[in-house]
Amino acid sequence: MTTVRVRNATKSFGRTTALDDVDLDAGRGVTGLLGPNGAGKTTLLRIMATVLAPDRGTVTLLGRDPQRPDDRTRIRERLGYLPQDAGFHRGFTVFEFIDYVAILKQMTDRRARHDEVRRVIELTGLSPVSGKRIRALSGGMRRRVGLAQALLGDPDLLVLDEPTVGLDPEQRLRFREMISHAGEGRTVVLSSHQTEDIAALCTRIAVFHRGRVRFTGTPGELTAQAAGRVWAGTQRSAAALAAWRTGDGVYRNVGDPPAGAELIPPTLEDAYLLLMGENELEVTHS
Amino acid sequence: MTGWHLDPEAIRRYAEGAAPPDLAASAEAHLMKCATCREAIASQVDTRRVEAIWHEVADRVDAPRPSLPERMLTRLGVGEATARLVAATPTLRGPWLLGIAAVLALSAGAAQADERLLRMFLVAAPLGPLAGVAVAFAGGLDPTREIGLATPYPGLRLLLIRTTAVLAVTVPIVAAAGLMLPGSHWVAAAWLLPTAGLTCAALALTARMTPVVAVGVVATAWVLVTTATALAGDLDLTSGIGAQLFWLAVTAGGGLWLVATRDTVTIKLGRSA
Ligand SMILES: Nc1ncnc2c1ncn2[C@@H]1O[C@H](COP(=O)(O)OP(=O)(O)OP(=O)(O)O)[C@@H](O)[C@H]1O
Ligand SMILES: [Mg+2]
Ligand SMILES: [Zn+2]
Repeated sequence: MTTVRVRNATKSFGRTTALDDVDLDAGRGVTGLLGPNGAGKTTLLRIMATVLAPDRGTVTLLGRDPQRPDDRTRIRERLGYLPQDAGFHRGFTVFEFIDYVAILKQMTDRRARHDEVRRVIELTGLSPVSGKRIRALSGGMRRRVGLAQALLGDPDLLVLDEPTVGLDPEQRLRFREMISHAGEGRTVVLSSHQTEDIAALCTRIAVFHRGRVRFTGTPGELTAQAAGRVWAGTQRSAAALAAWRTGDGVYRNVGDPPAGAELIPPTLEDAYLLLMGENELEVTHS
Repeated sequence: MTGWHLDPEAIRRYAEGAAPPDLAASAEAHLMKCATCREAIASQVDTRRVEAIWHEVADRVDAPRPSLPERMLTRLGVGEATARLVAATPTLRGPWLLGIAAVLALSAGAAQADERLLRMFLVAAPLGPLAGVAVAFAGGLDPTREIGLATPYPGLRLLLIRTTAVLAVTVPIVAAAGLMLPGSHWVAAAWLLPTAGLTCAALALTARMTPVVAVGVVATAWVLVTTATALAGDLDLTSGIGAQLFWLAVTAGGGLWLVATRDTVTIKLGRSA
């Protein structure tokens, strides 16, 4: 079943076209949006979170139309949303803040609501700081508070904008576990600049570039696009779209290999860089 | 071991929660020491009731005590959920309130020197509470706006809660400034109905535009219509009896409209959804 269905969505801000005729489907499991800064990921996620409406195109969320007030309320009852730059009432404690969002989520019975708040606090490992004021938390801890509020009420659709940004490697691993767990039986749509996170978490990915979808498929399919196009060398190759020196002093080149190059297996990141490099060329040549 | 035990009747009444407080207290004191009676009582207590009590106790212990403003609001009879929503209203933060108080105190002081400023007070007074309503919904000032927009909480209810809270705090500040004015105290109160009417008009407009824009429209119209005459010394448009009746009618009409449409109208709290 598709939980999220976007067709021909276009959204402009003044003269910037943030989304240009975008189609996207997402169902159970974790769908990842990849793309450079300004590609339109946040704009699309905000549309999926019912916060923004596209200028043109249709959106169906959980089988309903977010443009209709009644439907929108029904969607919001089953939605969890972590914005990219989630702000907090910094004077509230962690418990108070999550409880505040639970009130906005219409959990009216105080005791049941408090139980639910405690559940998500536990789930995100925030119990030791639950009585601390948000202003006293580190950035990574705040990110966890953001995730905790999104998990309130066990939503059917979770929209997470860069959930792992600013987390240390251990926390990122924990977040991955929590998110992949959430993706069992639910629809999770997230964005990330971390190709490893995407490779580890997502069942499907969509790659964005300048407001357009340039690829949709599985991480394996994207990686396969770079097969035969990544090679190692002792120097930066002029033929490469992207090249960088790795820790062991060898240059990793991505693009069309020169004759006799030593090919190496691609990663998701190679394939992503290749796709972006090709799209950039296409844009500058047209 | 103790020599006496609770009699079966006392055990039954305590287990059912029907014991009067003095009996309950002495029974509890005994139960702390006596395993035999604890067992006797355990077999009688309704487990569902025990769970409910235990749950309540655990919740009281675990849930942090609400902050002072929230506790004050609950003492005034405001529900705990509403108190939390009020506590999250951006306007009700210290610096902002001190700001309006300072501006009004300054203008009241200046009015002592220049009579035209006294008249301008009537034009300016409603702008304080109105600005407070706008601030309560200004995207840049509500850090959780984006999260809030994605929740099912009814926009109109949030609007009314926040507006009420803002008026409850700003109106006394403006009134205090009014009392510092020289001359008749009627002038110091004449702004109340226009403020109520302008607020209702702004609330009604939020069906079409965001609260910040609605307040802007209403405030601009008010200033344009009243400033020139007030400066010329004609206060009919602000404090005249006709104007007062007009604003009373707007307030009543706006209030009725809000009550009638509260379940059907969609308020535009955000720019686009
Ligand atoms: N509210 C807004 N007002 C004006 N322009 C906007 C607004 N939101 C987004 N944009 C513009 O739309 C484009 C897409 O932005 P968006 O935030 O969707 O990108 P993104 O893929 O999330 O980028 P990042 O990876 O940096 O988060 C950008 O050019 C941005 O400047
Ligand atoms: Mg973004
Ligand atoms: Zn005994």
